[in-house]
Amino acid sequence: MMSMKTDESDWSERSRELSLLLSRAALGDRQAFAGLYERTSGHLLAVVLRIQRDRGQAEDLLQEVYVSVWKAAGSFNAARSQPLTWLTHIARNRAIDSLRRKAAQPQTESLSVDEDSDRPDPHEALADDAPGPLDLLGRASEKRELDSCMQHLSPPQRQSVALAFFDGLSHAEVAERLREPLGTVKSWVRRALITLKGCLERAAVRDAGSNPGGVA
Amino acid sequence: MDYAQPRLVDALASQYVTGTLRGRARNRFEALLPSHPGLQAAVTEWQARLMPLTGVMPEQTPAPRVWQAIEQQLWPAQAQAMPQPFWQRLGLWRALSGAALAGVVGLGVMLNNPPPTQPPVVVVLQGTGADAIGTGGHIVASFSGDGRALVTRTLTPVALTRDRVLELWSVPPQGAPRSLGLISANGATVLSRDKLPATLLKGGTAALAVSVEPPGGSPTGAPTGPVVFAGKLQL
Repeated sequence: MMSMKTDESDWSERSRELSLLLSRAALGDRQAFAGLYERTSGHLLAVVLRIQRDRGQAEDLLQEVYVSVWKAAGSFNAARSQPLTWLTHIARNRAIDSLRRKAAQPQTESLSVDEDSDRPDPHEALADDAPGPLDLLGRASEKRELDSCMQHLSPPQRQSVALAFFDGLSHAEVAERLREPLGTVKSWVRRALITLKGCLERAAVRDAGSNPGGVA
Repeated sequence: MDYAQPRLVDALASQYVTGTLRGRARNRFEALLPSHPGLQAAVTEWQARLMPLTGVMPEQTPAPRVWQAIEQQLWPAQAQAMPQPFWQRLGLWRALSGAALAGVVGLGVMLNNPPPTQPPVVVVLQGTGADAIGTGGHIVASFSGDGRALVTRTLTPVALTRDRVLELWSVPPQGAPRSLGLISANGATVLSRDKLPATLLKGGTAALAVSVEPPGGSPTGAPTGPVVFAGKLQL
């Protein structure tokens, strides 16, 4: 319990710092924006790279992400969102949009296994040196209430959510990967999210009960 | 689809944030988002729930070319120059504001009633161009000579959406801007004496700035919206 509290206070300290940098960037302060980039670009590139595996393209996307962040910094609402959550959402959105653009271009390489090609499946190529989505889920759960909540999910539910969330796979792609019917996968993801929500809400209520001051 | 159904809204938001809402459904959802507070709230909640999952990913350092490309794209002319906060660039506008200043000093004096013991200080805040809201417009801020009362007046009404307000900031020579309060987007505002810092005119203010904020003003204590007007204080 103690270590969790420490994590959380580190995290909220970081949040305050990033909020300040964002609000200064909204005023046109380029040094603050450079500081924001320095502190967050490594994380956002990691997020983008899991969805868009080509490093060159992922870095191009990262550029687009920060140009949007500079322009939208004024719309960040510190009362409603954590800065890193807001930034991560922008990055994931860009990455997912890039997959959509890619899908519209038939000449572009597909993420699925190409039987005729000697090239390895991009996911497998990465598997050697990058943790799989389930590994990530496991590590994420070590930190927060998500831990116990993840235990409420069945293994296939966990795996479907991890593939969709970390790797940006669509329902159809998850189904293809797990060799399961599309309807089954949709239902796993839907139920997993409902279970997670309920569990996290109960955890939040418990937290508020044990910590009346709360964290704004 | 019936977006008034909380359950449906929540399910769509969860799929949107997870990334499994795709294609036309995703486009439709994103198109509805700006005008649908219920959807926005559900999305914000799901972001808060799921984004912490990404916290464990090992960081990936981008190549140096990425930051260079960002600078080049955002500030093509000055990409090589040192970055400067906006209030240090106010000098550029001084020449421009001279003409406007001449025209409004009389107005500033009229606004100060009863007459102060010292001549009033008038600051002309110009549209910064950071947003269409301030572009081409001016706000005049006049202090009483003792620095304890402040009146702002828009020279032309500022077009704001209903859920946005204007907030006035004192920008010190060093450190973070300090809120002086909310001001009217259409006409004059008198800022009450007791809310103004005593050091306002005693070196405590290098410039005044106006930002666009949610109702009630900035939730953070620092400007959160675009700075749409700014003007340097010259004593």
